[in-house]
Amino acid sequence: MSRFFNALRDGVGFDVLLVGAALLFLLALAGAPLLYNVLMSFQQVDMFTLGVLFRPFVGFDNYVAVVRQPEFWLVTRNTLIFVFGSMTGQFVLGFALALFFAQKFPGAATIRGLFLVSWVMPGLVVGAIWSWILAGDFGVLNVILKSLGIIQANVFWKSDPNFSIWAVIIANIWLGLAFNMLLLSVGLAAIPRDLYEAAELDGANAFQRFWTITLPMMRSTIGAVLSLGLIGTLQQFDLFPALTEGGPANTSNVAGYWSWQLSFQLYDFAKGATVSVMMFVLVLFASIVYVRSTRHEVRG
Amino acid sequence: MTRPYTPWLLLLVALALAAVYLFPLYWMYVTSLKGSSEIFANPPTFWPVAPDPGVYPAVWARRNMPVFLSNSVIIAAGVTAITVILGTGCAYVLARYRNVWIDIGLFCVLMLQVLPASVMVTPLFVGFNQVGLLSYPRTAVVLAAAAKAMPFFVVLVRATFMSVPRELEEAALVDGNSRVGAFFTIVLPLARNGILVCAILTFMSSFGEYIYSKSIIQDPNLQPASVGLSGFLGPNSTDWNSIMAYAAIYVTPILAAFVILQRRIVAGLTSGALK
Repeated sequence: MSRFFNALRDGVGFDVLLVGAALLFLLALAGAPLLYNVLMSFQQVDMFTLGVLFRPFVGFDNYVAVVRQPEFWLVTRNTLIFVFGSMTGQFVLGFALALFFAQKFPGAATIRGLFLVSWVMPGLVVGAIWSWILAGDFGVLNVILKSLGIIQANVFWKSDPNFSIWAVIIANIWLGLAFNMLLLSVGLAAIPRDLYEAAELDGANAFQRFWTITLPMMRSTIGAVLSLGLIGTLQQFDLFPALTEGGPANTSNVAGYWSWQLSFQLYDFAKGATVSVMMFVLVLFASIVYVRSTRHEVRG
Repeated sequence: MTRPYTPWLLLLVALALAAVYLFPLYWMYVTSLKGSSEIFANPPTFWPVAPDPGVYPAVWARRNMPVFLSNSVIIAAGVTAITVILGTGCAYVLARYRNVWIDIGLFCVLMLQVLPASVMVTPLFVGFNQVGLLSYPRTAVVLAAAAKAMPFFVVLVRATFMSVPRELEEAALVDGNSRVGAFFTIVLPLARNGILVCAILTFMSSFGEYIYSKSIIQDPNLQPASVGLSGFLGPNSTDWNSIMAYAAIYVTPILAAFVILQRRIVAGLTSGALK
């Protein structure tokens, strides 16, 4: 027995204890629910069977039922628009800002750090602020766009079916832009200066330097940032209840919010679980890309 | 001739960009100070004509904010405590060794980091219902949110532990210290700052936690401020100066903490986020 405590205090047992406690916790509260989710998607879950573990097995009925829902393809389309719109916006604007703040001028690091406030704010508050900015009649964005002559009439961002998903995308770009910029800045700072000096001596212009030095040197950073962007976008939830609640008529609904609505507004937990399993497959794909692009750094 | 002016010109552009980017924050504060007719003025006033902070105490009392905010603090403190206590040790071990088991552990942590809360909330709710945890809804939310926050914390803190020189710990072991002693007297104090920054980040993000609280906590007296905000926020809301005042009361502590600790937070993130 004392050997056991000695190992715990002064040997590998200590490591096993430290890592084991955390992994057990994560397995119980993240691993197990994940498997339970898959199990539920093959079961019939209703108010009578909610409290038991072994419910009637229904095979792929839930999946068939979800795909047959009239809004299924609309939600799929919206999810894709939301993911690619947000990622493109966050990445392009984030990269542009990162390049700008890589210039040498007084206060560059401090001002760049200020951008990160968007990232520490609660998602629901960000949603509330954008909900007010994007309001149709009295929203300030419409006023600004009209005075710049970009639009003639008010755009009803949140209630026009053509724009509702873009309202959420705009808010999400604002939310995620700063984190993208920060990670890309780290990548930019790691590129050796003398490469640029050598290229400049050889007569390469700014565009050529960007294309032949910056982009290739940033390849693993860009891979990680894009996959983190994909993961972050799929994780986004708070903006939907704050801005559009998926409406009007599901035109701004995405998989994550739909799954929550099925479970917690319609109490159809089986379908909610089914949609989230489908979404998990998408996340799994993103995380494999992420792990692959950061693998050598993880070991380093 | 133009060379010396370039940095200052860039600084001006940078300030302009920051002003555009931070405009939503400004708009939140300005709107909260406007009267209920001025918020609907057309064109909108970019500076309140008659600034009236009276909406703050009104919202504070009418919306029962002390209860909501203290619930937020309780939930965030619980999440941070669990995450720091369990996550620090895990990060230390994952940083200390390099073998195939550590790779597997790291892979698991990275995979758990990417799970969306909206995927997890359905099975967690049904599972909590079965084991009876729904009678203690705040505890249930703390457990669920800690599992969500821990992987990110582990990844960041692991990078901090990697920067602590192995030799210091080995010297302590040679001098007769036990593993436990070396961990608590040498390694932890050296990594203290990094752990602290990550703990603050965890606290900030769980202070704004919404989806688990919304789904699991039904009793308004136990709900956090995020759920309280969603209560009077909808596609048809018009009470914008109250909403913005609520939002301002909610986020100002987070913003203040962020601005004070900005340099450390950015340094902590950049050392670990890509690793």
